[in-house]
Amino acid sequence: MMDVGRHPKIKLLSYSEIEELSGFAGNFHVRVRKKARYVKEEECTACNECAEVCPVTVPDEYNYGLSTRKAIYIPFPQAVPSAYIINMEDCLGNNPIACGKCLEACDKKCIDYDMKDEIIEFDVGVIIVATGMDVYDPTPLDEFGYTRYENVLTSMEMERLLGPGGPTDGHLIRPSDRKEPKSIGFIQCVGSRSEKLGNPYCSNYCCMNTVKEALLIKEHAPDTEIKVFYMDIRAFGKGFEDLFIRSKEKGVKYIRGIPGEIEEDPRTKSLRLYVEDTTNGGGVKHHDLDMVVLAVGAVPRIDPKLHSLLVLSKTSDGFLLEAHPKLKPVDAPSTGIFFAGCAEYPKDVKDTVTQASAAAARAETILSAGKITIEAITSKVNPDLCKFCGICARVCPYNAITVDPKKKTPAVVIEAMCKGCGTCGAECRFDAIKMQHFTDEQIMAQIEAALEERPMEKIIVFACNWCSFAGGDTCGLSRLQYPTSPLLIRTMCSGRVDEKFVLKAFELGAPIVVVSGCHFVDCHYIDANRWTQKRVERLWDKLEGMGIRPERLQLEWISAAEGTRFAEVMRAIEELRKKVTKEEVEETKRILSEAKKGRR
Amino acid sequence: MIVTFRCLRCGYEYQGEYDRNRPVERECPKCGSNSIRPIVPKDKPK
Repeated sequence: MMDVGRHPKIKLLSYSEIEELSGFAGNFHVRVRKKARYVKEEECTACNECAEVCPVTVPDEYNYGLSTRKAIYIPFPQAVPSAYIINMEDCLGNNPIACGKCLEACDKKCIDYDMKDEIIEFDVGVIIVATGMDVYDPTPLDEFGYTRYENVLTSMEMERLLGPGGPTDGHLIRPSDRKEPKSIGFIQCVGSRSEKLGNPYCSNYCCMNTVKEALLIKEHAPDTEIKVFYMDIRAFGKGFEDLFIRSKEKGVKYIRGIPGEIEEDPRTKSLRLYVEDTTNGGGVKHHDLDMVVLAVGAVPRIDPKLHSLLVLSKTSDGFLLEAHPKLKPVDAPSTGIFFAGCAEYPKDVKDTVTQASAAAARAETILSAGKITIEAITSKVNPDLCKFCGICARVCPYNAITVDPKKKTPAVVIEAMCKGCGTCGAECRFDAIKMQHFTDEQIMAQIEAALEERPMEKIIVFACNWCSFAGGDTCGLSRLQYPTSPLLIRTMCSGRVDEKFVLKAFELGAPIVVVSGCHFVDCHYIDANRWTQKRVERLWDKLEGMGIRPERLQLEWISAAEGTRFAEVMRAIEELRKKVTKEEVEETKRILSEAKKGRR
Repeated sequence: MIVTFRCLRCGYEYQGEYDRNRPVERECPKCGSNSIRPIVPKDKPK
């Protein structure tokens, strides 16, 4: 951190928030609010004289309330810049007549009660999001008694207790009587790997953090009895298994089973854990311990404003969605934005450093190139046809379209931001948007060609490039059998499937039409396939209103790995096709033909 | 709003929460199809 603070080419803005962001890769314009810290950070020498005279004492958030801080304080010992800050919610001295002791104590006159927030604007080429994570709060898990029992701590609180700069200067004590604990239990997977309690995902770092803390405790006090209650220990990284084995050699006991209940002895404040030991003959046993540590998992940090400004998308677990899990694991879906650390997914220090290095290298590929190469598959607006309705801008997942309905300025696509999903083209009611390389004419020609001969035997499947079409590939590569009736028409995203493509297929005699795309969590265009679903729902209503069975339009989400599902879906839809009669298809053709004449 | 969902592959019907502005991925509990049509009453706003 010190190196970052001193680096001539790095400007560190601590205690700041992004207010506005505009532009695109290579040309981002950022407006930042640097909050007033009421202490001139360039002049503060961190002498601590201000804090010594401050009369306000509040719990220290950094030490999870295990110690206190003053209203004027340094957030944590290694903070950069190493300068004090006044929390005005705690401070009495906003009116110097009321207190103002720090003002008098500061020889360098660094304190400025009238300091205001500063707005800073600058241009950057790329953005790296490293906003971190939060830890799970185990208070709702009543069986563990966190906050009810003094000697039940979280792993983060234990980390502070063991830290040399922590509230006890690294001396391990139990909070109730400040004596050294003789026995400590760790409970793993608190808030992780449970659909019912906490979160379904593995938080990744907790097992090794427990092993590390157990070893640290053994170094502090070798006679301490340590028991770890676990589901399974995931020591998968380089050197991790060695560390795990070393902890066993040092006497740490591992018991497979998560305690169902903790009781406290009200007199001694010691704890009794009831647990089913599944490795030693089963049966519920109890363990008496001086202290219990809950190995709490990670939870995503919620910052809707930042997510909205950067057009970030989230996976179902709430962490940030990368552009591609294998090929672009540190890229955001929007070009020029990268991820580092636990904002993307819980990870340990080594993985965080690896990802941060990768993000820096990816950022440099843009900065050093000087220009950006984009895909040619982008949308183009015909300003003569645009009616300024603004629907295209509303549906664009990347905010790549600008339009002002009030001033009646035609829509403009910023090509550097457009990723080519084609949702705008499908939603435009005036055919004012042309999706290059996937134009209406090109797709219509494919529909016509597919249904030129024996249309009754065909199923038209609009499949998105990344998932459903690839799912068909997986199906073929796996030599899975499915009927020959489905004919796939590839679009980059299911969001590109215009209503008129579906109607055209029915008009040409298709018994069944399928619209297929990525599962919601896998959408390669952030959330473009939500518009697909909305459009298909509208189409079902429209078809029914016209007298066409909505069952003839099917919607399916198939991922690239789901070759088996692709085959199953196609087999099921083939059964639907067999039930569509020639008379029904002819009636549909007549209905659509008349509707067309009516429009004319 | 609680609405009836109808699977357009197998015809199975079930009830569930529907918010047009917050689309969620739906799957038929019986056949696994995603062709789940919300049957929104015509007299109620969508």
